[in-house]
Amino acid sequence: MTERKLLSDLVPQPDDDMVVCRCEEITKGEIRRAVHDGMFNIHEARRFLRCGMGLCQGQTCGRLVKAIIARELGISQSELDDATGRAPMRPTEMRIIASEVFGE
Amino acid sequence: MSKIIIVGAGAIGNAAAYYLAKTGVQVTVLEKSPYIGNGGSSRNGGGVRQSGRHPAELPLVMYGVKNIWPSLSDELGMDIEYYREGNLRLGKTEQHLEILRGLVKNAQAGGLDMRMVDSAEARELCPYLSGEVIGASWCPTDGHANPLLVTLAYYSAARRLGVTFVSGAQVTALRKLRGRVTAVVTADGTVYEADGVIVAAGYDSRKLLGSVGLDVPMNPVVLETLVTEESPPLFYQMLGTAMADFYGHQSTHGSFVFGGTHGLEPYADGSRTVGSSISASSTCRGIIGFFPVLKELKILRTWAGVIDDCADHIPVIGNPAETPGLTVGCGFSGHGFGLSPVAGLLLSQLALGQETALPLDKFRCDRFKAKV
Amino acid sequence: MKRYDLIVAGAGPAGLSAAAEAAKCGMRVAVFDENAKPGGQLFKQIHKFFGSKAHKAKIRGFNIGSELLAEAERLGVEVFLNAPVLGLYDGREILVRIGDETRHYKGDSIIVATGASENMLAFPGWTLPGVMGAGAAQTMMNINRVRPGSRVLMLGSGNVGLVVGFQLLQAGCEVVAVADAAPRVGGYGVHAAKLARCGVPFYLSHTIVRAEGSDCVTGVTIGEVDSGWSVIPGTEKHFDADTICIAVGLSSATGLLKTAGCEMEDKGPFGRLPVCDEYGQTSITGIYACGDVSGIEEASSAMIEGRISGAAAANYLGFLPDAALKARAGELEQALEALREGMFAPKNRGKIPDKTDEGFDVSMSLLTRGYLDDAEVAGYPGVRSAAGTHPVIECTQNIPCNPCQDACPKGCITVGENIVALPQIDAGAECIGCGLCVASCSGQAIFLVNEDIGGGLASVTIPYEFLPAPKPGDTGVCLGRDGKPVCPGEVLEFKSPPAFDKTGLLTVAVPQAFCGRARFWKREA
Repeated sequence: MTERKLLSDLVPQPDDDMVVCRCEEITKGEIRRAVHDGMFNIHEARRFLRCGMGLCQGQTCGRLVKAIIARELGISQSELDDATGRAPMRPTEMRIIASEVFGE
Repeated sequence: MSKIIIVGAGAIGNAAAYYLAKTGVQVTVLEKSPYIGNGGSSRNGGGVRQSGRHPAELPLVMYGVKNIWPSLSDELGMDIEYYREGNLRLGKTEQHLEILRGLVKNAQAGGLDMRMVDSAEARELCPYLSGEVIGASWCPTDGHANPLLVTLAYYSAARRLGVTFVSGAQVTALRKLRGRVTAVVTADGTVYEADGVIVAAGYDSRKLLGSVGLDVPMNPVVLETLVTEESPPLFYQMLGTAMADFYGHQSTHGSFVFGGTHGLEPYADGSRTVGSSISASSTCRGIIGFFPVLKELKILRTWAGVIDDCADHIPVIGNPAETPGLTVGCGFSGHGFGLSPVAGLLLSQLALGQETALPLDKFRCDRFKAKV
Repeated sequence: MKRYDLIVAGAGPAGLSAAAEAAKCGMRVAVFDENAKPGGQLFKQIHKFFGSKAHKAKIRGFNIGSELLAEAERLGVEVFLNAPVLGLYDGREILVRIGDETRHYKGDSIIVATGASENMLAFPGWTLPGVMGAGAAQTMMNINRVRPGSRVLMLGSGNVGLVVGFQLLQAGCEVVAVADAAPRVGGYGVHAAKLARCGVPFYLSHTIVRAEGSDCVTGVTIGEVDSGWSVIPGTEKHFDADTICIAVGLSSATGLLKTAGCEMEDKGPFGRLPVCDEYGQTSITGIYACGDVSGIEEASSAMIEGRISGAAAANYLGFLPDAALKARAGELEQALEALREGMFAPKNRGKIPDKTDEGFDVSMSLLTRGYLDDAEVAGYPGVRSAAGTHPVIECTQNIPCNPCQDACPKGCITVGENIVALPQIDAGAECIGCGLCVASCSGQAIFLVNEDIGGGLASVTIPYEFLPAPKPGDTGVCLGRDGKPVCPGEVLEFKSPPAFDKTGLLTVAVPQAFCGRARFWKREA
């Protein structure tokens, strides 16, 4: 059980403007801000900011985002789950998904 | 009433928490999942739609569209990406148009501005339609919003107002103490007490209500949604079809969010939130059939969610007379998101014993009767 | 719907091994892979593998890949390329993209062998072109034949960083430094030593402060970190560089397993991994995970895990009797356990022993600077002084590897039953100077030395895998273990017969006094 307590004030850091999610151009500062807004895990951060929701689906930034959240909350990264696996595993054109083959 | 427990941190539970907190009530929200809004609230297609609603629901959603949705971003302090750009429901055959005319008739009877448009006018509204579209219904005040943001914005704002949110707290039973439902028990045995309890836990509400001898006849049904890569802005109407092949919209971000049904959903195991192998393909065929221009867009994610499909497909919103202290909001049957702000507001009023903004007779918990 | 006895997702070392093992039992097997070429990472591994014969030691990775692919094809495995598995659904059904279609297939069993992806590190400038994963650099070089840059900084001293660092040198890049935030070299000492003697400096307890440049990388600054991983002001060091390679570990590509609903568990530094039984079966009956997707290890381990899962799937579907599975799995597990021993075994992660299993001091110089200190070399069992040509084995850590023992036709070298043991020289056996041990050593840690070839000179034979091949009479400078010039050196001989599998043996003449220190040779500029 996690009580969503208010955190102490957000202290700016020199690299807050560093882009962490390249696909959606989300910065470290935005992720830290989101944690203070109550986004306590990667699922909520993704939904709130779109970090890890772009073309690479968080393959590149997933661990980085997790590390930032964990540090902001003062917890171990292992306490945070990874993002959920979602099909399709690779971005795939709508026309290809639409074109199904069941036979041989 | 100074202390209220809300079971379920979805869009509706969070909205209720927010409106209660604004009145100064002390609120605790208990969420089963480790994640806020992890049920249907984060999995739906984002429609804020009045057209095609059940006549009973229409006044509620119209109230929301008139009084809550337009100012919700300002109210909650963040852009929840609400668009009131209309809803086009498309038809390709005379049979489709017949269905659409029926929807228009119902809507007009309920006082909603909705009408049929011919193919030329439909194309004027949205130039990207397939040439096969011969007509559509049009409701100019329908729209869409970002359900992820709405859910989390209510949460975040409520949290700022002092609401206590506890995630990973699975409520297993309600407790009636000295004649009133004033306590809940979580899986680890913790008992939370308050002056009243709101249950807004989707399908899980059924089991919880069962613990105090109430039943809402509903089934868990798995539905699926998908999102594309981002595209330059094309149109911001909410889209659907007469046959409900698919529905969806383009978001602020540029991605398109589409839901759809393949027809076999009622037979899937509703106890598991897993997607099927045929869903995305079916939805994509539906979309391409009406919007061939989108066929090269890449699908990035598909996901499943579970709706709480009530026997008569409209929700239960009320204070059951047999269980003072208890307020119920469940059974939204897959159309809860567009209703979520108004439902949250109504639940807050019910919990406080206030007169509600709208009459709720049609949503009573005890309306389910034998057919003969 | 088309149905196979076994569907394998991923045609890397684990997937192909699983497919071959299952096909051997009579199963109809299909393997799907998103890449245009099979083999996963194997085809970019141009170095010789470690282990023993059972692990295909001293064979280069890409050759192992070719062997494995040939085996799978011979056994009738259908390998589909350019065929990404998009999803894994109930009923062991997969969706695969093939060409412009999405195809449904069912497997009575499924093996997920989707490998891993590279971890990234965020630092100011990390999004500049020129910052890339070490694995990406390796793909550019060894698959696409493109040199990633000309001056490279490698962040990460695990085996990936060390191996790719050396391959960058082979491709003609300059490696300006290997940096690692950890206080110790994370990979095999022998890999580090190969880089160090070429003159690559190691900066342990250092991380990247920033990548410099506006449109692309033009430089990089590293700095020393304190115990809290923060850079200590004043310790910054700048390098001109156009490429920064990141080798800070891998993450298992568990997406398919997660969509299928397989249970996952947190394995600390290894991340969230599928819950598997001893045969790799996940929480869902009939779905197995093997190779890096079930936990990051070497390709050698992945191949064995694949075989175990393949055999288990065969048993599940009645193609392999219980007793046969038990016997086969037992033999494979033994091979796997042999790889999971020694100083770098997963179970010893994070621990630094003072002594080897045999009681020799573990070289701190090797762990902190990447090379053995000249003064401490003589203390190891593979190093001795003798008349005539004799091997000098600078293998000082307990790592699972023994090809040198099999290579020597005269039985000079002994590793013993336990393949992590340090090789020892038998003083009584006669060295004929054939050089097979030098070429067989995957760590390039064996040298032939003749301390007196007359005229005040000695000869040193070193493994040499650079182009152009040196010719007798070429002159140059010999470098020490630390990569610093020690003496002039003239090429006496360069041998690269097929038996050496492209590890050339370069013999140089050096003044006698330097035969214990000269360990690399650089052509005169």
